[in-house]
Amino acid sequence: MRHWIFSCKQITGKISESMDRKLPLLERMGIRFHLMMCKLCTRYQKQLRFIRETLRSGDGSKESSAISCELSHEGRKRIKKNLLEETEGGK
Amino acid sequence: MPLESKQENDPLVWLEQHGDSLYRFARSRVRDSFAAEDLVQETLLGAYRSRDKFSGQSAVSTWLIGILKHKIMDYYRKLTPESGDDTIDEFAYNMDGLFNEKEKWKIKPGDWGGDPKSVYERKELMAAIHTCLGEMPEKMSRVYTLREMEGATTDEICKLFQTGKSNCWVILYRARMLLRRCLEISWFGEKE
Repeated sequence: MRHWIFSCKQITGKISESMDRKLPLLERMGIRFHLMMCKLCTRYQKQLRFIRETLRSGDGSKESSAISCELSHEGRKRIKKNLLEETEGGK
Repeated sequence: MPLESKQENDPLVWLEQHGDSLYRFARSRVRDSFAAEDLVQETLLGAYRSRDKFSGQSAVSTWLIGILKHKIMDYYRKLTPESGDDTIDEFAYNMDGLFNEKEKWKIKPGDWGGDPKSVYERKELMAAIHTCLGEMPEKMSRVYTLREMEGATTDEICKLFQTGKSNCWVILYRARMLLRRCLEISWFGEKE
């Protein structure tokens, strides 16, 4: 009976796990039960989801640009040189 | 449908038009800037070699990103044997401090307020996330990035890192705990 009553520490693990796989029914119920009474763990869950959404929405070719960086001049030159070798060598 | 204009077929043009975005994509997943550059190069070479296979149904950029993703996976695969779990274990203590002996929150999750809405804020937030990821043990951040950004399944990750599922979940759990905490301090400006 007690194995679906989780502590906050356990719940944080279970919430994380539930983001990676479908948990057994009893554990899902355990999470829901705990969250009904625990504001902090509810907050924790929301924050994890928020981070995931942020990471996933920033995905794709356009908006992975969160990191503001560009190919260095040297890097570009090096790549160009190697590409030329390939394209011209292939002809 | 093969590529029509000669221009579209030219890797130098790809480099010109998509080089930076490919590089950013690589850098958000691979820390080493030289490795990221190599990945861009490998992608363009790979694309050039398989240019006949490009169906023209998707945009060139999408096609290139697809190839880059494979290159990144290969890169991870090659790196894996060197990185052990030791560094990850060292981070266990960080978590214990968050809870008291009754396993209740000792350092309580703060109120993060509303979600950042403006593009500027989102960009800043992403930058903060990447800084935090940079502070994690490398294997941990790699596993985490694969899961959250690429949406890889735990099965795929286990295969890639040759580790058991439960270990994967533990790594992901710790990564989330660390990142959440790191953001709380760095981005949401919690007073310590």
